[in-house]
Amino acid sequence: MEQKHYEVATLKEYGYKDYHILQTIFKIFGRILVAFIVMMLYFSIFIIFLQSINSSKSVTHFEHFTLKWYLEMFDNRQMRLAIQHTLIISASATLISTVLGTIIAVGINSLEKKKRQRILLLNNIPLLNADIVTGISLMLVFSCLLPIFPYLFGWKTLLIAHMFFTLPYVILSVLPKLREIDPNLLDAALDLGVKPRRALFKVIVPAVKAGIFSGALLAFTMSFDDFVVSYYTTGNGFDNLSIWIYGSIGRNSLTPAVYSFNTMITIITVLFLLTVHGFQTRRMKKNGKM
Amino acid sequence: MNDSYKKLAKPYEIWLYILALFPSLIMLVLVFLDTEGINFTDASFTFGNFSQLTESSTIIAFGNSLKFALLSTVLSAILGYFVAYRLFRSKFKNKFLILTILILPMWSNILLRIEALGNVMQPNNIITDLLSKIGIHVAIDIKGSSLAVLIGLVFTYLPFMILPIYTALEKIEPSLEEASLDLGATQLKTFWKVIFPLSTKGIVTGSIMVFLPCLSGFAIPEILGSGNIVLIGNVIDQFFRNMNYNIGALLALFIMILILGAIFLVQKVDKEGETLL
Repeated sequence: MEQKHYEVATLKEYGYKDYHILQTIFKIFGRILVAFIVMMLYFSIFIIFLQSINSSKSVTHFEHFTLKWYLEMFDNRQMRLAIQHTLIISASATLISTVLGTIIAVGINSLEKKKRQRILLLNNIPLLNADIVTGISLMLVFSCLLPIFPYLFGWKTLLIAHMFFTLPYVILSVLPKLREIDPNLLDAALDLGVKPRRALFKVIVPAVKAGIFSGALLAFTMSFDDFVVSYYTTGNGFDNLSIWIYGSIGRNSLTPAVYSFNTMITIITVLFLLTVHGFQTRRMKKNGKM
Repeated sequence: MNDSYKKLAKPYEIWLYILALFPSLIMLVLVFLDTEGINFTDASFTFGNFSQLTESSTIIAFGNSLKFALLSTVLSAILGYFVAYRLFRSKFKNKFLILTILILPMWSNILLRIEALGNVMQPNNIITDLLSKIGIHVAIDIKGSSLAVLIGLVFTYLPFMILPIYTALEKIEPSLEEASLDLGATQLKTFWKVIFPLSTKGIVTGSIMVFLPCLSGFAIPEILGSGNIVLIGNVIDQFFRNMNYNIGALLALFIMILILGAIFLVQKVDKEGETLL
């Protein structure tokens, strides 16, 4: 028997408007725009990279390819010190804030609703306040302490300042994970005779590991890159990299070595994140989740 | 949760009172005094500092700040929503990679990035030099203009807009959208009536995260504006550098009041600080 071919009804005949072409255009346009925006986000990093492989010190013309700035990265004493200070301060601030922030988050989570909201409101201040106001505020507090501790300004104030603005990030990353924990888990541990302090490290901390990790990552990112708060709270020659760069831009004496340092940091970060990601997907595959 | 954990939050509360609230009190006192730096020994009571608020330089700087902050917030909200929505719609569901792509630029020093951007905004730069070697001659000269500052602000703070919007979009129940489509709404209508209203939380958070640093920043306008564009942050910085803490404190308090308003707005939309990160 001969098969009859019926015409397929279009969307229009069903009473719908056909947006197919419009949607495709929108999709292509969207892809281009997203690509453009991501490119713009990375544009300055690309320029920094170009400047780091330029044999000329000038930022206006490209002489020829060189890696000499990578070898001379730590030759500039001021810059070397600034890098050291940045690493020491951000690593210790991250470490302290991560440990304390986790403990504090557990404390906040166990408070009553009213009290919790009040403390979270205060916790938002370092996060949302203008950097310049935070910097000045901390400087004023430290200045008030000067008569008691005359040599306060320096690494101590810088560390306190960095802890001040990194703690909220850790707390806000850990809190949502804490809320997801099954309360029975803790009760079971306590019923079985574990002391609350031990339960904190044996039950709660392992359960919120992901939050702690992302909090630490955020804290380090913020601390490593901070300029304004550090600018107001440091003292007598204890510059971090940002302060040193700001000074050098002002004096027009930026050495290309700093571009190579920055490029190297970016490359290390990418490698680090890819490794972490690789491990995660491998573990997930092993667990059969993917 | 166990009651014995409650006391763990107490020291932090005190820490916040000392470092976050106490300085505002100091500033409030400084506003009414005429002191040499923070030295209170020969301080005298005065209302004179307030005349600075009506000074034309302050008003211009403040107007500039508001203008740039609003413009960059609106621009990055539009661009950010678009990117977040495309990411949300794409099959690319690997949140880790998306976060990485957006956060990675922040690992480069912000001042270096701005400086590099500033270099390229000059007519003679490394890009034009490379292009001229292969025979293309272009020149842009926008360094020192408002456009340069605006570009710098938008592309520095855009990730802060994309992330909360993306988080808000991710949290929307997919069945809501299916229901809307099943019930005969077009895709556009579904977007406006279902998706968009549910993602406003992210837009509000993102807008505040962009608006506040744009309002008070002083490094970006200083570098990209080549000193032509003065924002309120630059004025405050000047006063504190010249040891005039009284007027500096007044302007800082002024900004702080604006920010407190924003914080209360965040609290209203988002009581437990969920979308902030």
